[in-house]
Order: sequence, then structure tokens, then C-alpha cells
Amino acid sequence: MRIAILLSAGRHAVSGRPAPVSVELQAIRLARELIRQMAGEVDGNAAGDITGFHAGPDAGPLKDALGHGLPRLIQLSIGAQDDPLPSLAAALGAERFDLVLAGRSGQGGEDAGLLPYALARTLGLPIVADACALAAGPQHGTVSLEQALPRGARRRLTLRLPALVTVHPAAPAPLPFAFAAMRRGMLETREGVPAPRAAGEVEERAYRARPKLIAKSAAGASATERLKAATEAASSGGRLIVDPAPEDAARAILAHLRQIGVLRD
Amino acid sequence: MSRLRRDLRMERATHRIEGTPRPRFDLAAMLAATPAAAGRLRRDPRGEERLALVPGTLRRRLDRTQRVAASAVAAPAAAVAEMAPKLVVIAEPAYLVAVVPDAPGGRLTPHDRQVIGAARLLADAGGGAVLALGEMPGEDLAAAGVDRVLGLPVAGYDPEARAALLHAVLDGLDIRHALLPESADGADLARRLAALTGETLFAGAESLTAKAVTRAAQGRRIEQRRAPPRLITLAADASAPHGGAPHEAIPVVFALPALMPGAILSAEFVPADPARVGLDEADFVVSAGNGVRDFTAFRALVEALNATPGASRMVCDAGLMPRAAQVGASGTVLDARCYFALGIAGAPQHLQGVARCEHVVAVNTDLHAAMIERAGLAIVADAQKVMPALIEALTGALAVEAQP
Ligand SMILES: Cc1cc2nc3c(=O)[nH]c(=O)nc-3n(C[C@H](O)[C@H](O)[C@H](O)COP(=O)(O)OP(=O)(O)OC[C@H]3O[C@@H](n4cnc5c(N)ncnc54)[C@H](O)[C@@H]3O)c2cc1C
Ligand SMILES: Nc1ncnc2c1ncn2[C@@H]1O[C@H](COP(=O)(O)O)[C@@H](O)[C@H]1O
Repeated sequence: MRIAILLSAGRHAVSGRPAPVSVELQAIRLARELIRQMAGEVDGNAAGDITGFHAGPDAGPLKDALGHGLPRLIQLSIGAQDDPLPSLAAALGAERFDLVLAGRSGQGGEDAGLLPYALARTLGLPIVADACALAAGPQHGTVSLEQALPRGARRRLTLRLPALVTVHPAAPAPLPFAFAAMRRGMLETREGVPAPRAAGEVEERAYRARPKLIAKSAAGASATERLKAATEAASSGGRLIVDPAPEDAARAILAHLRQIGVLRD
Repeated sequence: MSRLRRDLRMERATHRIEGTPRPRFDLAAMLAATPAAAGRLRRDPRGEERLALVPGTLRRRLDRTQRVAASAVAAPAAAVAEMAPKLVVIAEPAYLVAVVPDAPGGRLTPHDRQVIGAARLLADAGGGAVLALGEMPGEDLAAAGVDRVLGLPVAGYDPEARAALLHAVLDGLDIRHALLPESADGADLARRLAALTGETLFAGAESLTAKAVTRAAQGRRIEQRRAPPRLITLAADASAPHGGAPHEAIPVVFALPALMPGAILSAEFVPADPARVGLDEADFVVSAGNGVRDFTAFRALVEALNATPGASRMVCDAGLMPRAAQVGASGTVLDARCYFALGIAGAPQHLQGVARCEHVVAVNTDLHAAMIERAGLAIVADAQKVMPALIEALTGALAVEAQP
């Protein structure tokens, strides 16, 4: 099993200093645990290898990723404003990887999470988003993964390899940093494919937090009305049953819960 | 001197009541006689209170909002029927704005409604119409502000196939913008579509007008701004849902292409374990207030309903439920779809925690509790009697199923 992990140059969420992105470190852990599981089954130590790829001018902060359990990192040297897609596509296309792991979205760049999709399209790989657990699949050449959905739900998928999978923050936390592992890890620099980005029509300015949308009432409304707008349901006009027999009440409640779809049987 | 000087003594003297040894004045008549100088009406607090008095209760109750629950039973329904909002028809749209709601289980989420509201904004700016892609009940879509509907028939979980169908629709119809929610499935679909079409995607827009969209980048240090492109995903709570008259939501015909099987061999939905998810992530919360005394029955009911337990502050303060279960301003603000409140009065601090819940069911002995007013289904009954009946109905149904 050969696994590639895409590592982007991130910024720390609080300090803003260059740092690896947390979901990509979580991807390293998922990959290592998958390989360990396969090694147990195949009974050989050549169960697989993990390689990190980064396209960018400087791999400096990504050395930390070596300390979090990545054995090898390949930096594809491109300009700071270049598009990483052609470099990554060339590097990943040259070697055959069974599984490519990426983060759900970067942190510190465009942060749109578009690169894995564009890469999957160029490489012709299927892509699955938001994995939070990986395991060997039921047949050879498949992997079974758990996809994180909102509200703690999961979707269990079986996926034919090769494939590209993005990792969700709900995955297990990254392996702890070890200095010796960072010293041991190999960092290799290769020439990337220069691909200057076309100037977009996007205008940039300092971020200004906008107030989240809450239920509004007319300006100048009384305090009661504002409170009502903040606490009342969007759809009013409920059904009222006064003093029913307990059995009737239970029946009405269950029918209502079934109708709105929260009670499945 | 612009204002006349009033002689208050003189004015009072004219209202003196004759024939009493002590001087007495008819002040009410005096009030009526004084000219409404400043133009401001004098408030009559007693009169207002009389109006707000709720009839037919033992304890004296005031309804300051003038919305008496007893009259709410019949009267408003007729009023609604009278002024049934008329349908907005866009017969010849200049262009289409497509939305792809998540609609889990065929129901629009609040996020979906916001996306449709944003699409309405883009459509109304130039005489366009909103096209919803997916299977959903029509009246839901009409109220949300959708003009046209087109189903995307995809079996099971196959996002690649959905993206391919969407790509065909985007190519085949005159679609100026396509809006998706930046939710788990919506975000995935939008990015697939962007990769398929090679167009730029404006991901996670945080504000949207017909002229400009903005989003955060570089770890929320930079705000990007541009004219709305064709593909946009909208963050939650960034745009208001459509509030006006319903639109027609009529189906359109379009020949969809055939599909190829994808790489996903099997997909299985694993619902969250309600006992393990946190209150903020829970989908269905059953909550106990001061009106619940039988907590064994309450716990059994929570388990039978397969819900996450919650409580009001009174219950947590009393140590009957853990503090982590507290719902409200100083507890957890819920994001649940349904909230079932047993014996909770509905203090403002508590209702703030339930503000985002779509459906509320309340059981309370007090007809005038705020929770009863907030609820979509309100039962005025003793919680101690309703809980066993509910457990009975649930387990009884199971037993009947198990027998044959
Ligand atoms: C700063 C501040 C923050 C607060 N934050 C929160 C918060 O985060 N969350 C919170 O919950 N509260 C909060 N509170 C407290 C809040 O104001 C209320 O005191 C509390 O919510 C009331 O809880 P309750 O409805 O369970 O109890 P009560 O007000 O005692 O209401 C009990 C209800 O049960 C009904 N009842 C009685 N017997 C029965 C029966 N047999 N069957 C059915 N119904 C019955 C009664 O009619 C009544 O409506 C806060 C208060 C303050 C000052
Ligand atoms: N320059 C890069 N080099 C390697 N991987 C990258 C690079 N940029 C983005 N990625 C990967 O793509 C994911 C999404 O990035 P983004 O599209 O920038 O949000 C990241 O989590 C990385 O796994």
C-alpha cells in the first residue's frame, strides 16, 4: 500500500505564524494506522510506505510534519504565487499511489478546499470527502472509510483504490511531536512545474467579522417583540391539546414526532 | 414669550366642588378639560392591564403581548385563510438561478432556506427565476421562494453521479448562478462541480448581494470580494430566508443523461449514538424541567425515544441532571431539529437555547407557560402521567412488531 499525503503551508490559527495544518497531520496518523493494520494482516514489514508532498517555495514549517510521524517529505519547488496543481499532478502521476490523502481545506491560503478535487480530476482518481477513520476494505484493493457528517452521524463507505480522500477534523488527533522522528525524517527537494496564476478579479481587504444572522424584528420594536423574535419559532401556529387522557397525549406526540421525521422505527 | 403662562390655581378653582366644608376639586374633570398641549396621549396603565387580563384562570394572569392563548385556538386560523398570500408567478424568466438544497429526508433545512433566499436575491435583481434541483415536497419549496423544480434521480450515495447530472443541467439550461449550501454534502458537490466544469468556485460566501459576494481567506485574516460568479457556496447564517409571498414551484422538463457507476462500492448511513453525541450536536433532545419529578421514567423515555437528554437550569441546580445537560443561555444552545420539553416553563434564558430548533413539543400543566406558546405541539397535561403512557406506547408498538 503506497500512500501519498498532501501537505500545504499553513498558518497557525491564533498566532498566524507558519505552521503545518492540523487536518493534514491527522491524515498522517490515519495513514500510519492503516499501514500498521495492513502489516498485521500481510505479516511482512513491507506493507507500505508513506510520502508527503508539498508544492511551494519553502518547506521550513513542514519539517514539523516529520516529527508528527511522516517518514519522507518531498518538496516541489515553485514560486510563492504559482499554482501547486501542475507540480502535484506531475509528481503523483509519475509514481503510482494507492491512496492520496489531503486535508479538508487548508488554513492560511485560499482555504477553499478546491485543490484535492482539481487534482483528482487531473489524475482521474475518484474522490471522497471528510474521512474520519480508515481501515482495510473487505476485498483486496479496497478501503473502508468513515465519513464524518454533521451532528455526529457517520457514513461508512467501501471504496475501490486508487482514490483520493480528504480528511475531516473529526479524525483522531495528530500523533504527538517527537524531535527524534523529525531528525530521522527525510526531506527531499525537487523542481516543480512553474505555473503562474492568472490574475483574478478578486479584491482583497482585511477581514471584518460580520454579525451572524439572527431572527430580526422591525427596528424600533418593543423589547417584548425583540425577545419574541429571538426566542420564537419561525413557524408559529402550533396545535394545542388541553387536558387529554395520557394515552391520547402519547399518541398525539408520537404521531407528531413521526410526521416531522425524528422518530424512525 | 411664545407660550402663554398658565395659572394653575385659577384652573383648579374652576373645578372646585361646591357645598363641602373642606375644599374639594374634581380632578378627573380637570384632566379632561386641559388641552392636550404636548399632543401626547396620557397612558392609562389600569386600562391596559384590564385589556391584557387573561379570562378564565384562577390565578390573575396578564398577557402583555395581547396574544391570548385561548383565543389563538380558533381566531387566527380564519384570519390566515382570509388573507391567503397570493402566488408570485414568473412566467418568462430572463435567466435561472439554480439552488441544490441538501434536504435530508426530503425536508429543507434552515440552511437550505437561506440559500434559496440568497438565490431569490440574485434572481429578483434581473427578472430571473429560482430553480431547485432535487426531490422535495412542492409546498415546502413554494413557501421557501422557488419558481421551478427539477429532480436529480440518483440512487444511494453517489456524489460523482449527482455532480455529473448537475453539470448537464448547468450546460443545458440558461443558468446564470448556481448556489449550494456550504454544508457537508453541499460543499462536496460544489467542489466536484467546479472540478468538472473548470470554473472558479466562490466557496463559503459570508455575505451576498446582487453586486458582490465576500468570503474569508488566509485563516480569516483576509476578506475576498468580487462580483457573484456562476458557482457559489453559501455559509450558514449568512443570508436571510425568503420572507415574502410563495412562488409557484412548478416542475420543468429536462432530459438527464445516463450515469456511469462510481468507485464507491457500498455506502451505509450510521446514525449518531444519541447517548454519546454532545447536546450541541444532537438532533433530537428530550428535556426535563421542574415539572418532572419521576426521573427514572424520564431516563427510560429518553432511551425509548432514542434521544439526547437535556434539562433546565432548575433541574441541574438541584443536581438531578448533570450540568452538561443544561439547555439555555448559560448552558448549551441547541442546534437540534426537534426539542421535546417536559415540565419546562420556558424562561427567556431557556428559550434562547431552543431558538434554533425547528420543532418544539411541550408538555406542561400550565396553559400559559411560554414553552406552550413556543411549541408546535403543546399538550396541557401532567408530565408524570404522559411519560409512562409514552413509554408504554413505544414499547407496546415494539412488542406488537416482534410478535408475528
Ligand atoms: C443569568 C441567568 C441565566 C440563566 N440561564 C439559564 C439556562 O441557561 N437554562 C435554563 O434552563 N435556565 C436558565 N436560567 C433560569 C431560568 O430563568 C428559569 O429559572 C429556569 O429555566 C426555569 O426552569 P423550569 O422551567 O424547569 O422551572 P419552573 O420555572 O419551576 O417551571 C416548571 C414548569 O413545570 C410545570 N409543571 C409543574 N408540574 C408539572 C407537571 N406535573 N407536569 C407538567 N408540567 C408541570 C409548571 O407549570 C412550570 O411551567 C437562568 C437564569 C438567570 C438569572
Ligand atoms: N501547495 C500545496 N502542496 C501540497 N498540498 C497542498 C497544497 N495546497 C493545498 N494542498 C492540499 O489540498 C488541501 C486543500 O487545500 P486548499 O484547496 O488550499 O484549501 C490541503 O489540506 C492540502 O492537503
